[in-house]
Parts: sequence; C-alpha cells; structure tokens
Amino acid sequence: MGYEPLVTQNPLRVLNIGRNNRQMGLVMARAGLGKTALLVQIALDSILRGNRVIHVSIGESIDKARVWYDDILGFILQEHSVDRPHELIEMVKQHRMIMTFKESSFSRARLEERLNDLVLQDIFKPDCLVVDGFDFETTDRASMEDLKDLVDSMSLQAWFTAICHRADRRVSPTGVPAPCHEVDDLFDTVILLKPGKDNINLEIIRNNSEQDTSGVSLNLDPTTMMVKQG
Amino acid sequence: MKRDLEKVRNIGISAHIDSGKTTLTERILYYTRRIHAIHEVRGKDGVGATMDSMELEKERGITIQSAATYCSWKDHDINIIDTPGHVDFTIEVERALRVLDGAVLILCSVGGVQSQSITVNRQMTRYKVPRIAFVNKCDRTGANPYRVTQQIRDKLELNAVMLQIPIGLESDMEGVVDLISMKAVYFDGEQGDDVRYEEIPAELREEAEEKREELLDAVSMFSDELMEAMLEEEEISEDMIHEAIRRGTLSLEFAPVMIGSAYKNKGVQPLLDAVNRYLPSPTEIENTAYDLDNDEAEVVVSNNPDDPLVALAFKLEDGRYGQLTYIRTYQGTLRKGDTIVNSRTGKKVKVGRLVRLHANEMEEIEEAGSGDIVALFGIDCASGDTFCAPGLNWSMSSMHVPAPVISLAIRPVDNKAQDNMSKALNRFCKEDPTFRSYVDQETNETIISGMGELHLEVYIERMKREYNAEVEVGAPQVAYRETITQRAEFDYTHKKQTGGSGQYGRVAGYMEPLEEGEYEFVDEIVGGVIPREFISSCDKGFQKSLAKGTLIGAPITGVRVVINDGAAHSVDSSDVAFQQAAVGAFRQGYAKASPVIMEPIMKVAVEGPSEFQGAIMGSLNQRRGMIVGTFEEGNYTVVEAEMPLAEMFGYSTTLRSLTQGKAEFTMEFATYKQVPKSIADELIKAYEEQKKEK
Repeated sequence: MGYEPLVTQNPLRVLNIGRNNRQMGLVMARAGLGKTALLVQIALDSILRGNRVIHVSIGESIDKARVWYDDILGFILQEHSVDRPHELIEMVKQHRMIMTFKESSFSRARLEERLNDLVLQDIFKPDCLVVDGFDFETTDRASMEDLKDLVDSMSLQAWFTAICHRADRRVSPTGVPAPCHEVDDLFDTVILLKPGKDNINLEIIRNNSEQDTSGVSLNLDPTTMMVKQG
Repeated sequence: MKRDLEKVRNIGISAHIDSGKTTLTERILYYTRRIHAIHEVRGKDGVGATMDSMELEKERGITIQSAATYCSWKDHDINIIDTPGHVDFTIEVERALRVLDGAVLILCSVGGVQSQSITVNRQMTRYKVPRIAFVNKCDRTGANPYRVTQQIRDKLELNAVMLQIPIGLESDMEGVVDLISMKAVYFDGEQGDDVRYEEIPAELREEAEEKREELLDAVSMFSDELMEAMLEEEEISEDMIHEAIRRGTLSLEFAPVMIGSAYKNKGVQPLLDAVNRYLPSPTEIENTAYDLDNDEAEVVVSNNPDDPLVALAFKLEDGRYGQLTYIRTYQGTLRKGDTIVNSRTGKKVKVGRLVRLHANEMEEIEEAGSGDIVALFGIDCASGDTFCAPGLNWSMSSMHVPAPVISLAIRPVDNKAQDNMSKALNRFCKEDPTFRSYVDQETNETIISGMGELHLEVYIERMKREYNAEVEVGAPQVAYRETITQRAEFDYTHKKQTGGSGQYGRVAGYMEPLEEGEYEFVDEIVGGVIPREFISSCDKGFQKSLAKGTLIGAPITGVRVVINDGAAHSVDSSDVAFQQAAVGAFRQGYAKASPVIMEPIMKVAVEGPSEFQGAIMGSLNQRRGMIVGTFEEGNYTVVEAEMPLAEMFGYSTTLRSLTQGKAEFTMEFATYKQVPKSIADELIKAYEEQKKEK
C-alpha cells in the first residue's frame, strides 16, 4: 500500500505489538495525560499494518472518537509526506469502526452480540479491538477474565485504557497501580503514562509478556500527544 | 408609535418532527390571545392547527413551510417563525435561522435528542442563535425530562440546566416547580388559562432545593453579583438569577431547560416568560451586511430605526392576493408608500400593502420598525434579496446553499398542465434556492432537482394541489459528476480552411486534479504566443467542456487547467477559433487524465431499538454503505453510515419492514466520492446505449 515507512518509522515499534493476536494491552494514566491519544495511535498503527480495528468508546460520542482519529492522522500526515493523502484517509475510514456505549449498557454480552452482528453478516471482521473508557473500578476479576476469553475466542488483539488516581497507592508486585493491580497479569503489555519535566513519559512495565529491557524510552509530545523516541 | 426594540423578540421554534412544535405554537397563539380556539395538528374537527397553512401539511401532519406569525406577551412583541422538522427541508430551517435572534428548541420527553435535533442544533450554533430548550410531552408514558436534559448536555453539548422540575410525570403531571421563585405552578381551567402559584408540595421540597443549588452553581459564573451573594450567603433575588441566566444564554454558554406538555396545556406560559426574559432583543445581536459599493466590505447593521433602511426578504409565499414577501428589517423603518431598492437587481420598488402575519390571517400596518418581521404585497423579488433605502447598496450576507443531489424528470399530462407546471416551477425556484428546474436540451424533458426524495415529492404534490398541474414522474436520478485523477498534458491545434478567412489556434498546457473547488484556470503564457485578447476565449472553451464529461455526460468538477504555450495566426485567429481549440485541448487532456465518475454520498443516521441493530447494519452494508459507528444507550441505538445516494431509493420501505416500523432514518448530503469500478462500468454502458438510441 506504500505506507510501510509510516509503520517502520513509528516509535511504537519498540513495543512488540503486532507479532501475534490474542494479545492484551493496557494503557494507564491519571486523567488528562493522553491515554486516548496513545490508544488511537496504537489503533492507527494497526490499521496501517492492514488490520481492521473496532474502537469501543464508553461514555463518549461517535463524533468525539472520530475527531481523535482525524487529529492524530493529521499529525501523521504532517510528519510524513504521503503520495495520496486522501486515499490514506479513506483507507483508515474503511478499516475502522466506532462503537459507543453508555456506561450502563456496556457488557461482555452486549459487545459479543455486536461483534457477531458484524462478523456473521460479513460487514466488518475486526483484527484489533481498542476500548476506551472501560471502568476498572467497578469490574471484578471474573468479568475481566470473561472479556479476555471473548478476545481469545475471536482471536483479536485488544487494548484497554484505565484511569489511575494519585491518592490510590495500591500497586501490584510488578508495579501496576490500582485499579488494575489485581488483574494486571491478564495483560501482555502494560504502559503507564507519567508526567515528566517537559513531556509525558511512557513507562513500559511489561512489553509483550517480558520485562522491558530495550533501554529505549518513549514519550508523548505534550502539544501534539504524538509518541516520540526520547 | 415608536416601539421599544428592547421588547421585541424574533424567535424560531425548531425541533425534531413530531415533537410537538405546531401544537406548542398553537398554544402560544392561544394564550397570547391571537386565536380563540385550539385546533390540533391532526384535529378531529378537520380544521387543523392554525400554523400549518398549506393543505398538504394538514394532510401529512407535518409543517413544511415556516409561517411567520406575530403575538404579544406581557408587553413584549414576539415574532414566531415555525420551522419544518424534516431534514429534507433544512434550507427552510436555515433561512429562518438567519432572521431569528433566538430560538426555542423543542424536545420530546420520551424520544429525547434525536438526530434531527442534532442537525438543527448544529445549524443554530452556526448562526449563533441563543436557545432555550423546552422538553415537551411530559404527559406521555415514559416521559423523563431529567434524562433528556442529560442528553442535551451529552449529544448537543450545551450547558443545559433545568429551571423547573415536574410535579408528577406521565398521566400524573400536574404542573411544575419554578426553581427561581421556588413556587409550584399549576395550570387551571379547561385550556390551562389560569396560572396558579402555590407552595411547593412537601415531598418535592428537598429535590427542589437540590436542583436549585445546581442551577445557581451553573449560572453564578455569568454574574459576579450573584457569585458574591452566594459566597456571602446573602439574600439572592429572583432578578439576580434571571440576569445571570440571560447573560449565560446570550453568550451561548448556557441553555435553560423548561418543561411541560403543550398538548395538556402545561408549562407554556412560563416558557413565554422565559422567551421575554432570556432571549435577546434585535439590538443585542450583531448582524452584518456587505457594502456592495465598497468591495463587499463587512458592515454592522445599526438596528437604529432612524437610519436608512436595510431589510432581507427571507421567504416568499403565493397567497390569494398575489406574492407575499416575508421581510426582516435590520435597520431603519419600512413605511407604506416608501420607495426601496433591491440591491441584487438595482430595481426600485414602492411599498404597497404592509402586513403583520398570523398564519392565514393578516393585519394591515403603516410601518415596521427595525428588527421587525412583516410581509409585503406585490413585490417582485427572489428569496434572499436585500432591500435598502435609495442611496445605500448593502447586501445581507449570502446564505449557505447546498447543491442539489437528486433529480427527477417530470412530464405534464396535458397542455393545461404544461402552463400551470411552468408557473409552479418558476415560483418554487424563487422560494427555495435548493430546488432547481431546467429543460434537458437533448431529451427535451423538464428536470427538477433538490435535496432528497421527500423534498421533490412535496413539490410535486404542491404542483398538483396549488397549481392544478398533474405531472408524470420519471425515476429519480442521482446527480453524478466526473472528475480527473491525474495530471495530463495537452497540445491541440485547431485549423480550418474553408475559403476566405480560416480558423487557427493552438493551445498547450496541462490539467490536474483540484482538491478544493470546481474549476480553476491558470494563464502561464509568456511572450504573448497566445495574444491577450484570446486568453479569455480559451477559458470560455474549457468551461464549455466542463458542462458534459465524456464518460457519462455528467458535469466535470475539480479540474485545474494551466495553459503555458500556444500559437496564433495574424489573420485566421479569432475568439471562436481559440474557444474551439480549448475544447479540443480539453478533450485530448481529459482522456489521458484518468477520468472517473463521482457520486453523492449521504450521511445517514438510523435510529431504532437495539434488537434491530444487526438488521439495520446488514441493510446498510448491502447498499454499499460504510458504517462509521454505532451508539448505544439502553435499548435504543443509532447507526451512523456514509451511503451512496443511488442506493437509498426506497430505503424507508425496507427499513420499515425490517424493523416493524420501529426505526427511522435521516439523511443529509456529505460529499462526492468516486464510484466503484463495477458500478462505473455499468453507468458508462448505459450512457453509451442511450446515446446509440438517439
């Protein structure tokens, strides 16, 4: 498709994402640090690698999610020149579907029903699922396992975001903070966003089931929220 | 008599179809003593509501044209524009919004915010119209004004806060609690004429206190005085709160939410009070015009009744006594007998009869001050024209007019119908800029085009009813376009020797896709190889070629043509020769520039019960749709998609049978997109066969 440079030059390559399906990832941060921005970049990277992505947004509107994609794609196009930007924008649209739920109406059963609607009618066959706004506070381990089970059975890659709070000091043995400290073992990759001096650092707690050893550090440009090598 | 402009309100009533606009307007007219009996939209008495003046509207129970009407409430003069609710008629809504200073957005307390409300709200934001929300139908089963208020915050992204809470809901609704005066309000009498204020019922006391706090918190940011009073825990006067709400509303940062049931005569009078209190007077809204004598420089209209007149004709209607022109004055005073100038045509006209309107009845007046909405008789003009006092040449900013996306061929059944049809078409085109009609040169058919199937259907009905013009209707046609996808060079010589002076012209250059805009002509000729006087001939020749593409005969758009070389002959070159050369050059370049067919893509939103979501998505997918997203709330779901218009014919029937009539959809034009290869091939084949037949 001619978009390889956008993939190979993406700083996200440090994460071993895209090697296999049935992988679960988690992006954690306090409110307002750029979880959604990072999630959308992960989704776009997947689309550029030729995958189809379902963006599940809980508690937000379709328009808000779409604007995130437009913005981030705009930044990508500013940094890399692409022959026919319109074709790329069109391709992204065709490989992405947004599903929004009210907080109260999201459940594994609902999600599964919706995914099946799409897959069985051959409307949209997703490879990757990104979930923004999932409430870990009120979710017990059993429901999380249930979701992982769904992801496995449909052989998807899935990414979640979670909000952590400064006041909550609970933490898992591997360093994953609350509210995910009791379910962190279900995730193959865990990234924690932390405010640094001039930018936001990505602390890679676990990188595709391995403790991170690459020594490469990533951060978010505070104005564009784009991932950079730092 | 000088009217106090501070006490004039020009408001619109705008909402989703079936949320009760017309019923509410009817009640307003009743309480303001403009009418003496109440008729329902689908009245049993066969009279129909006063505002729906067209027969067709009465039959379908929908309001198509926005009738303007006048009333007065507690020494304020209110002009109301009733606006249509269906998306196919959005030009009407947009035109009405242009002349409004404020609006009441009606929402159904059961259905809540639906996609049409979102469209209307977006239009209001575009025209910066301050608005009050009225949650209607609180007497219906399933009513929940709290949920609707939350939806206004979420979906319309307005800072909406309730000014009232209901006393009972559904069939138990008795009245409302006013959170500002902290009084219970009841509406007594058969038609709810008598407003009775009482103590708040004990069981609602706590909730009222709580909601009042929320309200005060939300509006205190608009008033330092109120903020201070709250901090100091001083007495908070009602006026203080009203003032804060008014400021917030005018700045578009706050949306007061009122509740009631127009049908059950509850909550209408407080809504009128709110219109007087919170919506702006004409002087509080800044409107701009373009000064045509000064390079279209923007000028702010003064609202001063003593300045020279500036007025906008925003709607035409064919009445029993000839053409009626609805007009809004922005400055100056319009008097009977005055001479005014149409700034588009430069024609002078004399103001004959001047009337104030109330749907079907009218009241003669002598003059209309600045900011007023009135109607004139016997003035020939098109909708959107500006009238000024002689000496002034201003035009109110042009309105956003979308291009038509669908067309139909119509054929009159007999000669009499033929005459009437042309009369009707002439009128409709003047009334509605999104409706066009022309005669196809090749087929000799009359083609009408507009914004959607329903849009055209309504005009065909009106032709029959109002003009007695019976027509046969062809299948709807999508307005395709052609465009190029790559750069291509051309170098064409037009040469003709037929004794006497011949024709000679050579044009060379290239054409390339133009991302934004329809056509651009760039002259890069150096050294005068094409003489100056023939450059515009080339431009003309290219423009001529754009009218009809070679693939399917559709208009070509999105092309930049650059000429950089050529040749001329001192005797044989002429305007015609270079036009001809440009036509040839265009044809040559076009064939190499990989031309493609483009089709209109509509933004479609289908809403219905969640159980049908799979079926809805399936039906959209089958019609070459691209599903953008889904939204789910409880048992209610919205699917958003981008659909080719060509696939949407008859979709309402399909949808109805798929969902037992429980889902509905709205559609508006989004963009033009390339037609897939297989479909393009079919279109080209059909076009070629059609050509052969001739």
